[in-house]
Amino acid sequence: MNVSAQAVTIVMIEDDDGHARLIEKNLKRAGVYNEVLHLNSGTAAVDHLFGPNRQGGAPVLVLLDLNLPDMSGIDILARLKADPELRLAPVIVLTTTDDDREIRRCYELGCSVYITKPVNYETFAQAVRQLGLFLAVIQVPPTAP
Amino acid sequence: MTWTEATFGRITLALTALGFALLLALGVAFVWLVQETRSYAAAVVATQQIRVAATDLLGVLQDAETGQRGYLLTRDPAYLAPFTDAESRYDEALRDLASQVTADGGRVGPQRELRIQVEAKMAEMRETVRLAQAGDQDAALAMVRGGRGKALMDEIRLLLNGVEERTLARQAGRSQSLQRTGGLLTWSAIAGLMVIGLVTLGTLRIARSYTRDLGAAQAALQRANASLEQRVQERTGSLMAANEEIQRFAYIVSHDLRAPLVNVMGFTQELETAIGTVREVVQRAESEAPQLVTQEVRDAVQEDIPEAIGFIRSSTNRMDRLIGAILALFREGRRRLTPEPVALQGLLEGISGSLQHQLDHAGAELRLQPPFPTLQTDRLAIEQILGNLLDNATKYLQPGRPGRILVRARREAGMHAIDVVDNGRGIATRDHARVFELFRRSGPQDQKGEGIGLAHTRALARRMGGDIRLASRLGEGSVFTLLLPDALPAPDPASNPNGAPQLEDQPA
Repeated sequence: MNVSAQAVTIVMIEDDDGHARLIEKNLKRAGVYNEVLHLNSGTAAVDHLFGPNRQGGAPVLVLLDLNLPDMSGIDILARLKADPELRLAPVIVLTTTDDDREIRRCYELGCSVYITKPVNYETFAQAVRQLGLFLAVIQVPPTAP
Repeated sequence: MTWTEATFGRITLALTALGFALLLALGVAFVWLVQETRSYAAAVVATQQIRVAATDLLGVLQDAETGQRGYLLTRDPAYLAPFTDAESRYDEALRDLASQVTADGGRVGPQRELRIQVEAKMAEMRETVRLAQAGDQDAALAMVRGGRGKALMDEIRLLLNGVEERTLARQAGRSQSLQRTGGLLTWSAIAGLMVIGLVTLGTLRIARSYTRDLGAAQAALQRANASLEQRVQERTGSLMAANEEIQRFAYIVSHDLRAPLVNVMGFTQELETAIGTVREVVQRAESEAPQLVTQEVRDAVQEDIPEAIGFIRSSTNRMDRLIGAILALFREGRRRLTPEPVALQGLLEGISGSLQHQLDHAGAELRLQPPFPTLQTDRLAIEQILGNLLDNATKYLQPGRPGRILVRARREAGMHAIDVVDNGRGIATRDHARVFELFRRSGPQDQKGEGIGLAHTRALARRMGGDIRLASRLGEGSVFTLLLPDALPAPDPASNPNGAPQLEDQPA
C-alpha cells in the first residue's frame, strides 16, 4: 500500500516502560508501523503537545495512560479536547482500572476508545488501525515475519 | 443559684405548710378570744349579781332593824312583821351572796366573818325584841343604847363594801387582761398575716426563679444538643474522610498491583512467542544437525520453559482475578442499598430453582421450611447473601453422605434469623472466624473459589443492619444464621455513594 498523506504519529503517554514496550511490539506485530513517540511522564507529554516547540498541524493519535506519577491522564485528555488544533486527534485511553465512573468520565471528555489493561492486543491493534484510518494511517505491509 | 426540682418542691411545701400552720394558730387564738370574751361577759353579769346579792343582804338587815326599832318604840306587834320576815330571809341572802362570791373566785374568809357578824346582829335584835315582848322595855332600850347593834351594823356594811370592792377589782383585772389579750391577738394577727404574705411572696419568687432556671436549663440543653449535633457532624465528616481514604488506598493498591502484573503477563506472552521461534530452530537443528541438540537443550525447550511459562501464567491469572475481586468488592460496597418489600419465600424458591441443576449433580436436597417473613430490604443484597450461603452448602458436602440442606426463619432478639442448615463437611472451630475473612478458605481446597464469598456476604449483612453467624462441627455440618432487621437502617450519612468499602471487620 502506498499512501502519501502525512504520516500519523502515535503519541504514547505511558510511565511504565514495560507497558510501553509491549504496546510498541504489539503494534508492530499487528502491522502498524507508524512512528511511535513514547513520553514517559505527564510533564513530558504536556511539554510536547502544548509546549512552544510543538509541531502544529501534524496528525497525531494519542495513547494515554490515566495513572501517571506526576499528573492525572484525565487532565491531559481534557486539555487535548479543549485544544483547537488537537481536539480532533483520536485518543485511546489505556489503563489498569475498569471503574465505571472513570470510563464514563473519559467518554464524556471525548476519548475515542477506553481499553483496560491487561490488553487484548488484537482488539487494541484493531482499534488503532480503525482510528488511524480516519487520519490516513500508513500501513506498510510487513516485510519480516 | 440553681434549684433542683426536689429542692424547689421541698421549700414550697415547707413554706405552704408554715402559712397553713400560722392560719390555724390564728384561728385557734380567735376562738380562744371569743371564748374569753364570752366568759368575761358572764363575769360582768356575776359581778352585778354579787352587788345585787350584797344589796339584798343589806336590805334584809335594814328591814329587820326597822322592824325591831318600830316595835321597840310603839310596842305595836304590827311593826314586828318586817323583822320576822327578815329573820326568815337573811340566811338565804347570806348563802346566796356566799355562793356568788365563791363562784366568782372571791375569798371565803370575809364571807365567814360576814356570817358571824350577821348572826350576831340578828341575835342582838332577837334579844331586844324578846326583852320587849317579855315587858322589860327598859332592858331592851338599854341594850339598843349600848350601841352594840350599831357597831355590828357598821361592821357588816364595811364587810359588804369590802366584798363589793374586791369584786369590782377582780372585774377590772379581767377587763384589763381581756384588753391585753385582745391587743396581743390583734398584733399577732397582723404579724401572722404579714408572715403569710411573705410566705406567699417567697413562694412566688421561688417559683419564678425556678421557672427562670428551668428556662435557662432548657436553653442550655438546646445549646448542648446543637453542639452535640455539630460534633456528630464533625465526627461524621472525619469518618467520611477516613472512609474515602481507605477507598482511595484500596483503589490505588489494586491499580498499582495490576500495573506490574500487566508487564509480567505481557512479557510472558512475548516469551512464549519467542520460545515458539526457538523451538522451531531446535526442531530444525535436530533434523539437520542432531549433534547440536543435547538432551538439556531438548528438555529446556520442550519442558522446562513451557512449564515455567505455564506456572507464571496461572499465577498471574490468579493474581489478576484476586485484584479484580477486590475491585469488585469495592464497587459493591459503594452500591446504594434500596429497601423494597422482599418476600423470602419467593426469593428462596427462585434461588432453589437456579441451584437445582447443581443440587441434582451433587445428589443433594434443599428443603424450605415455611413460614418465611417479608422484609423491607435490598432485594439484590439479600439474594446475593442467601445465594452464596446455599451455593456453599451445595458445594461443601461430606463425601459419602447425601447432602441435606434446610432453610428456615425465626425471630431472635427482635431480628429475623434465617438459618441455612446443612449436613456437609463442616468447618473446624479454629476456622470459624477465618472463613469470613477475605481470601481465606477452610478445609480441603477441592472447589473453585477465591475466598471472597463469605467476606462479601458478611460485609453486605452488616451494611443491611444485620450480621451473619456460624455454628459448625467439622464433619457434621454447619448452620449459617443470617440476622436481619425488619427494615433497612436509615441511610447513614457517613456512607455516601462513595462510602467505605465494607471489607474490614466493623463493630456489629
